[in-house]
Amino acid sequence: MSSKPTFIGAVEIGTSKVTALIGEYNGRELAIIGRGECASRGVIKGAVVDYKAASDCTHSALELAERDAGERIELVFLAQTGGHLEGFYNEAAVNVKSADNMIDRDDIRTVCDLAKSKELPAGRMVVHNIRRPFRVDGRLVPTSPENLVGQKLEVGYWNVHGQEQRLADNIHVIRGFNLEVRELVLAGLASGHMITTAEERQNGVLAVDIGAGTTDFVLYRDGVAHTTGVVPVGGTHLTNDLSLGLRLTEGQAEKLKLRHGRAILQARDKTEKVWLDGNFAIGDRQFPRYAIEQITSARTWELLEVVKKKLGHAFSADTCQAGVVLTGGTAKLPGIAECAAQVFGVPAHLGEAPAWVAENLREPGYHTALGLLYYGVSAQGEKSAPSRRKAGFLHSVSRLFATS
Amino acid sequence: MRLDTHHTPAARSWRDIPQPVKPRAMSREGRRRLVWSTLRFLIAVSVLAGVAVGGWQVTLALRENPRNAPAVAAVPVSAPKLETDGFLAADPRWLARTLALPKNATLMGLDLEQLRDRLLAQGQVNTAVLTKIFPATLKVRVTERSPIARVMAQVAGGKPQAFLVARDGVVFAGIGYEAELLNTLPWLEPLKLARDGDGFLPISGMGVVAELLGKAKLEAEHLYATWRVVSLARLNTDAEIDVRTASGATVVFSATSDYFSQIANLDLAMDKLTAQGAVFKRINLANGRDVTVTMDQPIVPIAPAGKSTSAATPAARKAATPHLPAFGNFSTNSKTTREF
Repeated sequence: MSSKPTFIGAVEIGTSKVTALIGEYNGRELAIIGRGECASRGVIKGAVVDYKAASDCTHSALELAERDAGERIELVFLAQTGGHLEGFYNEAAVNVKSADNMIDRDDIRTVCDLAKSKELPAGRMVVHNIRRPFRVDGRLVPTSPENLVGQKLEVGYWNVHGQEQRLADNIHVIRGFNLEVRELVLAGLASGHMITTAEERQNGVLAVDIGAGTTDFVLYRDGVAHTTGVVPVGGTHLTNDLSLGLRLTEGQAEKLKLRHGRAILQARDKTEKVWLDGNFAIGDRQFPRYAIEQITSARTWELLEVVKKKLGHAFSADTCQAGVVLTGGTAKLPGIAECAAQVFGVPAHLGEAPAWVAENLREPGYHTALGLLYYGVSAQGEKSAPSRRKAGFLHSVSRLFATS
Repeated sequence: MRLDTHHTPAARSWRDIPQPVKPRAMSREGRRRLVWSTLRFLIAVSVLAGVAVGGWQVTLALRENPRNAPAVAAVPVSAPKLETDGFLAADPRWLARTLALPKNATLMGLDLEQLRDRLLAQGQVNTAVLTKIFPATLKVRVTERSPIARVMAQVAGGKPQAFLVARDGVVFAGIGYEAELLNTLPWLEPLKLARDGDGFLPISGMGVVAELLGKAKLEAEHLYATWRVVSLARLNTDAEIDVRTASGATVVFSATSDYFSQIANLDLAMDKLTAQGAVFKRINLANGRDVTVTMDQPIVPIAPAGKSTSAATPAARKAATPHLPAFGNFSTNSKTTREF
């Protein structure tokens, strides 16, 4: 690959804000050189409902990022979320063809194609095919089974698919800026990759990204994404409940949530009250802290319960030894890790960006965009790398990513 | 995460979604980027095309060039090759005489601009292209001026001699022309030629003369063949051109009117006069639709059948004047003009 740098954009069109990061990729290293943010409009629960409004704010974020970087983006990795995204598991098995039972590349290709060949309902499109480890005669093979000896080769894929129109809407928003969408990446995969380590993924970890409109989760097992999912519930639902329960406007409820909301009920004194604004201005009111905490904690608990329910049998304390890692704007709610630990019955903590990430990008709001860049670059390297020459420079990028 | 766990979806994938959008669905910045990217593409294509053409030209040059270019510097130029669309090739020594290349001159040492100027100094040469063809050939391609008239002039210290005049007024010696061809050209007079070094300055007003002669030759060659002298004496003052024919008569053309109609009038008048056996001295075509004919001798009307022309009475002869209309049915009192 040439040393001429490529300027890559990572865009997350979220419900509350649009984030754009620009990375300079020289074929070996990726450096973040620009960022842009804009309050989101025309997006509800991760889905574009007003093309013009969504385009305007996305393009503003891209322009800001380009101005910050002083460079023009050439392609974009786009995060995808929303309740329309679903996943299913499909596996296939083949008998090894050769007389000496040595597995060759044709066997691997055949079993992979079979595992991915499940037909989707009309209007659905594949977003990701995430392969789980191979099995040779029932024995787990963490790497490639090529040249191993066995009679039966098995593999399974976690297939993520989404609604065609929703996917197209997001792509067209980016195309309206005359940029190519090179990779579409599940937002949960992107952020999960940033907040978990390779070791955690190997031991089993659940990454939960609680955004404003949606909650994305990825369960990692054996080093790969085992199950993914999106729950169309997020921080705005907490705000909405506060608004209804305390008879407040959305803005006031959001303010109360950020100041006094908790994921675990802590207040003991039911008569303790907190000011809405605290500036003693006319119209400022008091609300019982207990009620605020009760509403937010109940909603948070409920949200995490939904995630656990969606994971079903895939999740267990035994298979998720590294616990739960939380990120996203709503993960800043105090006590949320404690809440998650109680719901899932495993240790939980807030996710942090790797140490090499610059201080101004360590906020949970950037985890998805950062993950997009690294995930996208790695996926690009994976696609363009010759299969027999994995030890080349593209592989080093992959390794860089894998150990980050 | 191990990256080899991800594969491109085999079934309908998000990549099947067509990405191009119409410009109207783009934001202003998007459209600007589209224009910029299109421009960049066009510029890149142009540069590539330029490089390709340049490469091709270099290839052609190298093909014409011998392998050892430095060695050709020492090869003397052979006799220059002339390509012309005219008559200069009839004089095989003309080119060498004009170029006056020094002995043992090499192609590398030739100043083509200077040589071109020498060629163009010969009035007969209109354009000249000189090409070096390595190792030792100089190719000269010229286009020549076409003469439309002759003029008698005298160069310094020489005898009067005939020169040729081109449509643009350039006067030149006329090399390689056959005498039969030159004899068909009319003479110009009276004319004062202004000297310019060894030659003459171009004659002004030749444009209108060229148009008249060209039209006459094309439309009425039988008339043109009788024209001997074209006079520009009154061109500037009266805007008229006098043409003297082989019989000594004068035909006056207006330089401001359409030559075609004037020639047509002349042709018709000549037909009438010939039919009546009359000899004219002057025909003036410069009066618009009126043609004035001045007769050399009075006309004797053709006698009716049964009567001899010699039976004309002296009174009738007296009544006839030299300025009578030369043709048509008219009375003796009528004007000396006739509309055609």
